[in-house]
Amino acid sequence: MQEEVFNELAELALKGSGQAIPKSKSYLIEARLAAIARREGFGTMADLVHCLKSRANPVFAAEVASALVSKDTCFFRDRDALKRVVDDILPKRLKASNTGRLKVWCAGGSTGQEAYSLAILLEDELPASLRGAKIDILSTDICKVSTETARVARYGHYEVQKGLSIHRLVKHFTRLETGQWEASEALRSRVSFRQHNLLERADGLGNFDVILCRNVLSGMARASRTKVIESVSKQMMPGGMILLGGGESVIGLTDKLEPARHFRGGWVAAGTANAEASAA
Amino acid sequence: MKTCLIVDDSRVVRKVAARIVRDLKFDVLEAGDGADAMRQCRQKMPDAILLDWNMPVMNGLDFLRALRREEGGKHPLVVFCSIENDAEHINEALSSGADEFIMKPFDADILESKFAEVGLV
Repeated sequence: MQEEVFNELAELALKGSGQAIPKSKSYLIEARLAAIARREGFGTMADLVHCLKSRANPVFAAEVASALVSKDTCFFRDRDALKRVVDDILPKRLKASNTGRLKVWCAGGSTGQEAYSLAILLEDELPASLRGAKIDILSTDICKVSTETARVARYGHYEVQKGLSIHRLVKHFTRLETGQWEASEALRSRVSFRQHNLLERADGLGNFDVILCRNVLSGMARASRTKVIESVSKQMMPGGMILLGGGESVIGLTDKLEPARHFRGGWVAAGTANAEASAA
Repeated sequence: MKTCLIVDDSRVVRKVAARIVRDLKFDVLEAGDGADAMRQCRQKMPDAILLDWNMPVMNGLDFLRALRREEGGKHPLVVFCSIENDAEHINEALSSGADEFIMKPFDADILESKFAEVGLV
């Protein structure tokens, strides 16, 4: 890829979705934009860049920027963390709640596997302490296509075989004539989906007991990470928790959060970790 | 080191699967049909069996049912691996004693994920 073309697309990714794509990973750009290039009939990435510059179409530019975000996900990615959300964090939040209602946000939830994994755990392994609770799961992603895939809840041969046991596949999914597997109504009714760019204000999404923002920050530029974590943490209810992916941290990005004492990868409002520890 | 018996009448599938399974730190044995697999199991039960459905002489389902009746035949974790991937076939495999099921075609990630599901890796 020519340097000028790479620079244009890397700049678009940074501005549109906060992604930092180094030159050494220019192959990611070609891979992630292949479908759009094919659909639009561009022979090369240079043609695509030429169109972006000459057409000045913000909707198309936003689509390209969102396509540059990693779609990497699978069912039950970090199963232990999801299990602890259901077994430990949500019951504690329910105790503190006076509404009997809990809200979970999968921020940057890609094609929905994380949200459906939580829904499966709630269906199959609901702790007694959560019985009767109304638990809403919202999954958002910057990409319109990913959000629609998540909403439709139809997954391919390879997707349903990564992280999902065969017992759960046949219990919660139905095989369609197309060969795809569709999530059950019971799962779909537990989860809702919205397109949302994490660089933008999230006030409209409401407040949440638990926010999973896993493996989202790691691909972002430092300034974007700060912006995202500041925005996401504003949507955390008092006493709530943000969960990051393995190896991700907000140290140096914000002073409004501190590590949760009893949950590796969990972050709570600064000054409240001791209270969280004594409640545990 | 754990052992995995790969049972498939396709030499190509056995070769591809064997490479992936060796990367997961298993000793690999191979059989071209259910009867050959049963002979090997009677000599020594493997820890895991990756089992095709449609094979000559003895198919995978007949082998699995017979295996589970053998002395020590409940020990191996059996991962069915078949092109027959509708819910009816999958349920039949599970009710016959399979622990997991891989829908062909598969890749290294799928095989590792399925082995992880049953605690083999």
